[in-house]
Amino acid sequence: MRKTARIAAVATIAALSLAACGERPTDEPETATETPTATETEPAEQFPDFKACMVSDSGGFDDKSFNQTSHAGLEAAAEKLGVQTAEVESQSPSEFDDNIAEMVSQGCNSITTVGFLLGDATLKSAKKNKDISYSIVDFAYEKAPANVKGLTFNTAEPSFLAGYLAAAKSETGVVGTFGGLNIPTVTIFMTGFHQGVQRYNEDNGADVKVIGWDPAKPKAGSFTNDFESKTIGQQTAEEMITQGADVIFPVAGPAGLGGLQAAQDNDAWGIWVDTDGCVSAEEYCDILLTSVVKGMDVAVEQAITDAASGTFSNELYVGTLENGGVSLAEFGPNADVDDELAAELEELKAGIIDGSITVG
Amino acid sequence: MSEQTTAPKAEKEPEEQAPARARDLTSWLPTLVDSIAAVVLALVVGAVLIVFSTPRVIESLSYVFSYPLDFFEYALVAVWDGYRALFTGSMGSLGAWERTLERAAPLVCAGLGVSLAFRSGLFNIGAQGQMLLGALVAGYIGFSWDLPVGLHALVALAGALVAGGLWGAMAGVLKARTGAHEVITTIMLNYVGRFVMLYFLGKEALQRPDSDNLLSPPPADSARFPELGSLHIGVLLAVLAALAVWWLLERSTLGFEMRAVGANPDASRTAGMSVAKVYVLAMTLAGVLAGLAATMQVLGKGDSLTDQVAGTVGFDAITVALLGRATPLGTVLAGLLFGALSAGGLAMQGAAGVPPELAQVLQALIVLFVAAPALVRGIFRIRGKGEGSGVMATGWGA
Amino acid sequence: MKLEIRGLTKRFGSFTANDHIDLTIEPGEIHCLLGENGAGKSTLMNMLYGLLEPTEGEVLLDGEPVTFETPGDAMAAGIGMVHQHFMLVPVFTVAENVMLGREQTRGAGLLDRKAAADLVRELSGRYHLAVNPDALVEDLPVGVQQRVEILKALAGGAQVLILDEPTAVLTPQEIDELMGIMRELKEQGTSIIFITHKLREVKAIGDRISVIRRGKVVGTAKPTASEAELAELMVGRSVNLTVDKAHVTSGTTVLEARNITVVDPRGHQVVKDVSFEARAGEVLGIAGVQGNGQTELIKSLLGLVRPDAGEIWLDGKDISKHGPLQSLEDGIGYIPEDRSHDGYVGSFSVRENLVLDLFRNDEFSSGLALKLDAIAANARDRIAEFDIRTESADSPVSSLSGGNQQKVVVAREFSRPLKVLIASQPTRGVDVGSIEFIHKRIIEERDRGTAVIIVSTELDEIFALSDRIAVMYDGRIVGTVSPDIKREDIGLMMAGAHEPVSGGAA
Repeated sequence: MRKTARIAAVATIAALSLAACGERPTDEPETATETPTATETEPAEQFPDFKACMVSDSGGFDDKSFNQTSHAGLEAAAEKLGVQTAEVESQSPSEFDDNIAEMVSQGCNSITTVGFLLGDATLKSAKKNKDISYSIVDFAYEKAPANVKGLTFNTAEPSFLAGYLAAAKSETGVVGTFGGLNIPTVTIFMTGFHQGVQRYNEDNGADVKVIGWDPAKPKAGSFTNDFESKTIGQQTAEEMITQGADVIFPVAGPAGLGGLQAAQDNDAWGIWVDTDGCVSAEEYCDILLTSVVKGMDVAVEQAITDAASGTFSNELYVGTLENGGVSLAEFGPNADVDDELAAELEELKAGIIDGSITVG
Repeated sequence: MSEQTTAPKAEKEPEEQAPARARDLTSWLPTLVDSIAAVVLALVVGAVLIVFSTPRVIESLSYVFSYPLDFFEYALVAVWDGYRALFTGSMGSLGAWERTLERAAPLVCAGLGVSLAFRSGLFNIGAQGQMLLGALVAGYIGFSWDLPVGLHALVALAGALVAGGLWGAMAGVLKARTGAHEVITTIMLNYVGRFVMLYFLGKEALQRPDSDNLLSPPPADSARFPELGSLHIGVLLAVLAALAVWWLLERSTLGFEMRAVGANPDASRTAGMSVAKVYVLAMTLAGVLAGLAATMQVLGKGDSLTDQVAGTVGFDAITVALLGRATPLGTVLAGLLFGALSAGGLAMQGAAGVPPELAQVLQALIVLFVAAPALVRGIFRIRGKGEGSGVMATGWGA
Repeated sequence: MKLEIRGLTKRFGSFTANDHIDLTIEPGEIHCLLGENGAGKSTLMNMLYGLLEPTEGEVLLDGEPVTFETPGDAMAAGIGMVHQHFMLVPVFTVAENVMLGREQTRGAGLLDRKAAADLVRELSGRYHLAVNPDALVEDLPVGVQQRVEILKALAGGAQVLILDEPTAVLTPQEIDELMGIMRELKEQGTSIIFITHKLREVKAIGDRISVIRRGKVVGTAKPTASEAELAELMVGRSVNLTVDKAHVTSGTTVLEARNITVVDPRGHQVVKDVSFEARAGEVLGIAGVQGNGQTELIKSLLGLVRPDAGEIWLDGKDISKHGPLQSLEDGIGYIPEDRSHDGYVGSFSVRENLVLDLFRNDEFSSGLALKLDAIAANARDRIAEFDIRTESADSPVSSLSGGNQQKVVVAREFSRPLKVLIASQPTRGVDVGSIEFIHKRIIEERDRGTAVIIVSTELDEIFALSDRIAVMYDGRIVGTVSPDIKREDIGLMMAGAHEPVSGGAA
């Protein structure tokens, strides 16, 4: 035992010494390392004295979901605007107050909080610190104070397009959707999707059915009640596939990956949500028709830019197809969407933007 | 090398050594030295992690043989900064102390529940579910009832204790009546508890007006715990709870029965004790304590109800109880340590350079080292009392 | 190989477990190490076997000083040890257990099971140790498991074999077989250190006897020495090996069992229609080979097991449906057969164990609160009265010697007024001095007018204590006889024969 350890130690040192005989980058001044976020090239306007901060909810910044996407917005702002950053992950809701306060004590100029659970804590802190600009992802205040901006997303719009596309691609005439929890931020996707399918039926005299959600019966949808378990998502999707569905639209965060797995296993299509699935869930790209993208990073970056450049307002941000806050991602590599269908989708999009089609 | 010997015996003759009882949970508990060693070791490994997650240190590794001092200087600075932030953030100021105490309070209460059950021979994994039920009732009474200040908080508190107690009692009754293992039933009841919470959060009555989010209104001010300075008195309740549990275990007939049943149910039954009664009672009290922990969040910090209102306190409580060797004082100290790690971890995140996960990694390492006392002993060469007892892990058989 | 121990000393803090021990074990000798529990025999052997490091002194093998840091060193030097609690892997075969730690492989790291099995066969042939190498250890009776342990030691090349209390776990037949094996080993030149506290055994097998008391060798004896001499050496005073008791005329019936039947969880009838009565001022001995229903019968008397049929009457009151708590309150004293299992809580202090079934009394608690002073005072009194050897009343009972553990249980049961005392195997694993004491106290309790029921598998004990003897076989009482009966006759009854006509029924 001891001998082995000794040999291992010697080997490690030897390996290290091979790699470690390099030269110190002597030209670099000592201070340069202290602001690792500073970039060397200087695009557009720079705000090196501005500090943008973020507090996650209990999912953490590596949740492959809304915390992570929002965090990408912070990183983008740091890169483009040269702002300093600080961030805190929350473990539980009882920490929200402390965590925001910690950001305040770090001298942040703007604080972005992620998720509706932070609504109370954000408001409380905003009332105490009028000179800090707050923004909160996925939450809208009835009466927002002058220094708080809600960032919301009308995901029903791109979901409508996704529903239309799903109906068009379905060969069995059945498409399925399920949610993580029966809550508005989830069901808004499903409702848009449902409406898109109905629109397809009207326009083309078809009879494509949606299983898993009907906006007329808001208590009866299909929900995993879990955002984490891929297994539950997979089971839910498999049931739908047994009922004939050949397009699956899971709105359940990581649990939804199980839905894509089920689709992949059974030669069905999938449509991903929140982010472009061909980037965030690459292994399923081959069966993706498209993704409904919720541009939280876009919104967060915009809020930080506004705050840094002095154009911040408490006006509610609503991501739409029009302002690019929500969108339909590029079609998947195998989606094989013909020009006619693509044109129809463009038309529908234009209709939603100009208000001739109402969604949601 | 693979000679399979058990702990050498000291002055005792072999036949007098009662064979280790698999049923005696307390034999799992770490010794005081184990606990302290685990914490120290976790800090050491944590320091290594800090070193190797600091970009500047990693960079200096590439030229460590040309300028070795750079590496050591940067590494020391990184560790010093990180642990200084950990310390100042948890104990460096009045505010830091408050934060530590407020985070420790629910851990202590729920940890006491786990400890109490543990001493009674039950491995209570269900503090999380018991907390959720307690939070649900405390929260509902807190925002929907209209009672005078003081009375409101008392009623909400009582509601939480009853709800948590009933949830805990279920596992106790199942164990006493059917023999269903409490580890399994309490884990399952955690799930059930979460879905009960989700179910009620989906009801209009628990949602905010004009909102469909699974988020209740915050408790009314009249239902909040009064504050001493800026510290809510829940912290005081946690201390009282620890004293009460200590008295119960060490000074009362009930505690005598609990400890006896926990250490040897057969001898206890032979001595006329009702093992079933003790199981039900212990789980009920464990649930009551978890319910108390939930009020720290809801009535103390004023959290609204969500399905995450208990955070991970119910699970961390298990670690706290084990680290505290299932004694009230130990649980309080371990709870304080975890509270400090949590509060100080926040400061470490704030001070740039230390990854946010480090505080959690420290906790996880402590758990790991507590769970693997043989490893820790090997590293520190701890010998048991005299050289005689329990140096080597017991092998097979016997 | 000649093994010499010179001035070997072991201290644990201020406690000296072994004090300058000198011993010489000649080749091919069975050297008995006799001593009471706690005398320091095991400490000595653990030093020999590399498990403990001596504080002072040295060990010589064939005149060469040796030091063992691990049991591996000791084994390499030719010293093997068989612990009382076996170190076997139950789910492995005999051959696998024997090769454990010195696995032979054929090429590619494959275990050579055949070689191991052959080795086992060869060794068991040479030493007449009948063992099937392919049997799973968990399927083997205790006596055969012990043979596997001996085989393991021999396979390791042991020339000096330490047997640590080997007979404590064996039945009488198995003890006889073990003695045969020991003689065989001796003939083949293996030296044996035989650790025990049973006088009869050392006399039967020993070549030389060294007696250890309180960490010191207090004398050596020849196997021809009388048991009384050996006992005196061991205990340090003269010991009365027979129980003095006056004949008494038994009084009224206190406890009566009527047609008790107990069915175990697997559905077997383990107690079949048993009836008897226990009378005031009389000891009723229940004899029988282990596992003939005695355990279940007395459990049903206390209410730990509910009888499936029959009634139990105490002082004219039907207590068949009483649980243990009520039975204890009714005045039944109960000394269980397995004290560490049912008799005490090992991690509890002596003080706490002394009130394990008394803490509810007003004397020791009021309401919820324990009266700590009263409990401490009780412990002081009982420790003095029953001569319980413990460092303090705070020491956990598990740290006591077997005899003292049993004294704790006995003291507790005797500290309240009893109508009936039920004692099962009251002196199992207890040293001579304590046996004498416990027997004396049981007779005193009888003389006080208590009805006493003794269950024992040791005929010596049954004969020493009983005024009447009931013999159990296969769940039934096959006969009730007077203690004047001959040993052989009762042996026949224990094997299922019915009451002999000549026996003089009681």
